[in-house]
Amino acid sequence: MRWGTPVTLLAAALLPSALPDAFLLHLMTSVAIAAILALGLQFLLGVSGQLSLGQAAFYGVGAYGSALMTGAGLPFAAAVPLAAVFAGLSSLVLIPVTRLRGPYLAVATLGFSIIAYLVIKNEEWLTGGSLGLMGISRPALFGERLRDPAHVYWLCAALAALVYLGLRRLADSRFGRAAHAIRQDEDAARASGLRVTLIKSQCFVISAAVSGLAGALFAHHIRYLGPADFSFWKSVEVLIMVVIGGVGSAAGAILGAAVVVLLPEWLRAVGDYRLLVFGGAVVGLMLFGSGGLAGLPGALRRRPEARP
Amino acid sequence: MSGAALLEVAVGGIAIGCVYSLLALGYSMIIRASGIIHFAQGEVMMIGSMCGLSALWLAPALHPALVLLAGMAAGGVLAGAMELLVYRTLRRRRVPLMNIITATVGLSILLMNAARLGWGSEPLRYPDLFSGAVEIGQLRISPQLLWIAGTGFAIMIALQLFLSKTRPGLAMQAIAQDPDAAQLIGINLSRSMAGTFAVAGAMAGAAGVMLGSLFFSFFEMGFITGLKAFVAATLGGLGSIGGAMLGGILFGLIETFGAVFVSSAYKDAIGMLLLIAILLVLPQGLAGLRKRGR
Amino acid sequence: MTPLLEARGIARRFGGLVALDAVDMQVAPGTVHGLIGPNGAGKTTFLNVIAGAFPPSGGSLRLEGGDITALAGDARARLGIRRTFQNLKLFPEMTALHNAAIGLHADGRAGVLSALLRLPAQRREEREIMARAAEALDFVGLAGQAGRLAGTLAYGHRRLLEIARAFAPRPKLLLLDEPAAGLNPTEAVALTALIARIREAGTTVILVEHHMDVVMTVCDRVTVLNYGKHLSTGTPAGIQADPRVIEAYLGQDALAEALAC
Repeated sequence: MRWGTPVTLLAAALLPSALPDAFLLHLMTSVAIAAILALGLQFLLGVSGQLSLGQAAFYGVGAYGSALMTGAGLPFAAAVPLAAVFAGLSSLVLIPVTRLRGPYLAVATLGFSIIAYLVIKNEEWLTGGSLGLMGISRPALFGERLRDPAHVYWLCAALAALVYLGLRRLADSRFGRAAHAIRQDEDAARASGLRVTLIKSQCFVISAAVSGLAGALFAHHIRYLGPADFSFWKSVEVLIMVVIGGVGSAAGAILGAAVVVLLPEWLRAVGDYRLLVFGGAVVGLMLFGSGGLAGLPGALRRRPEARP
Repeated sequence: MSGAALLEVAVGGIAIGCVYSLLALGYSMIIRASGIIHFAQGEVMMIGSMCGLSALWLAPALHPALVLLAGMAAGGVLAGAMELLVYRTLRRRRVPLMNIITATVGLSILLMNAARLGWGSEPLRYPDLFSGAVEIGQLRISPQLLWIAGTGFAIMIALQLFLSKTRPGLAMQAIAQDPDAAQLIGINLSRSMAGTFAVAGAMAGAAGVMLGSLFFSFFEMGFITGLKAFVAATLGGLGSIGGAMLGGILFGLIETFGAVFVSSAYKDAIGMLLLIAILLVLPQGLAGLRKRGR
Repeated sequence: MTPLLEARGIARRFGGLVALDAVDMQVAPGTVHGLIGPNGAGKTTFLNVIAGAFPPSGGSLRLEGGDITALAGDARARLGIRRTFQNLKLFPEMTALHNAAIGLHADGRAGVLSALLRLPAQRREEREIMARAAEALDFVGLAGQAGRLAGTLAYGHRRLLEIARAFAPRPKLLLLDEPAAGLNPTEAVALTALIARIREAGTTVILVEHHMDVVMTVCDRVTVLNYGKHLSTGTPAGIQADPRVIEAYLGQDALAEALAC
């Protein structure tokens, strides 16, 4: 596993030279953005144990935020981080609900995401309503518009790698340990002096900001935003990415994102059946790979006596 | 707005509330027995709706009660089969609950797209099961609404009787409260669990026929309705049967009145805002109120 | 001398049930203070009230003279009141070392930003936390288990790990809730010695325990509760001779329990 990260990074960096196909690069950019989104939920669910069904809301805040800010003349390099911060701040609205547990937290975040979706759909003056926002500017670095799909891909892949490393560092720190402890036993965490609500809220804000970053990149990658991309389905899709990747595994979340983005594309050949097959694949993976994709190698290697 | 018009809105709210209640009951029964948030519940409803419609296509003169039964049977068999084929296997393999819940989402996608292939992607109109209008003085109430509210209440009462008076019903209650003890006194866990899913599925099937006859049947109909019913179940307190009934009807009323008096574009948001507000005061839903009172 | 902990008129009702009824207790610094009583006497409830798991229905608590009655459990933990749980509450998916490190969380400062940047100060703090956590494991005799997941430890080791987590920050007051439960006689003797060493290290201990030989060996003072009321406080020898205490124990089937020790 020690070589996993550098090898993956190298392969990801060399991909455009190996496969200079615009559509493929477009897809891989989508994978990188989805990976950021999945990493955000993975941190919330895998490290702090909070299930959010409202990631689409923060994704939407980031996307529309960055699109509107660049539309108003702000440079890309300022608008994207600002949009991520804004998405993080928007999650502060939900801080009171972090004291809810399990399904109650999930349903409260779900409610929030439905409200956000309706705002996107109905507030035409701001979001363009059902027609959406068109003509969003391309990503730009140092005043240069990135016209080459390979450059956009590199940017998104590099940011995904940064998010991955950042969240890994966070999980492996005093803060991450505390969040992890709270996930396992809140009473014991409190008795050890941990400020449980504060730490859970911080995880929420971080996860929302990461989702917002993904949304901002999405806006400039696709360059068109409509409400459909921010419905409850998006939240479910993120959850599927994290779970098929294996809850608790950051690398798994990236793998899960790749599967969720690429599988339906590969299945275009089967036309109308593709979502049917996708649904079946999700069920099948749950049935046959207990730890998600991250657990598959172990499941294949597993010997009967290896399990306690 | 006149009193008569208000009453009409209220009847509409109660009717749609009954649909939510029936679905919410299924969520509650399943989460209580197995801990699973059954996200495919809305799709079970949709399949029930489609099957009721197909029964009507085959026999246009079919009595509405039989259409309802067809929907319930389809929902019951489907949900029971999902438990036997998928969830039971997952439970036996002791996979984390989150994975089982993801499997329910997978099944939900599967069913939705199967229905799209089977019944097409266009909304399908139910023939009017009832025509004319009931007039009480100035009041005109659509018979559909009365039919739905009446049947909804009848089914909920029947469910209560089933759960509290019959052996299989009591066995389901027992496994929900304490599976280990229930097995010790000789209750077949697998059978009762499958029964719980089947009953929950039948409730969903009934809700599907009702909702279909009110508007139309559509392969995506289960999605948002299922979500709202889940919210209703949470509102009532997940796992509480009485709470689910109350939560569904309350949600239907709030949504209907909200659409009329506040904003129809934000009709779904009103219910959600209220939900979040209620959860903040009562983190366990309305059922927490009773516990707190004790 | 000011008592380290002073409880005055502590009451706790659950619905109509009175679990604690105006209990007074003073714990002198540097002592091991036993808390015993027949089953249902309210010992664990009292411990929970001191730890701040739930508020008392009446009465006040002072730590070193300062009123802590209104503080929540986590705030009291940061002030130096740590506890163990009767039915073991560890973080099973974390290593023994990291479990102990959680006990030291409140002593650290590094937040989200410094964790992301891995600044030198943050790395130094991490090293310090880990060194102190290892020291705490060593103190309770778990040095060899540092890398193992808490959930995979043997039962006796899990009991010790919980003590290590609570003792790691060198708290002013350590609340031990039946630490000897489920231990074999050898382990119970080792535990008695460990509690004595904790006292020598300067931490005051309140010990709820059913094993009378542990209580009588290590406690400096003992308070007896009965039916939620304070019955008697004194030295172990004095308590054993107190007719009211004997009567309270005789009145229950706890006699068998006391004889078994």
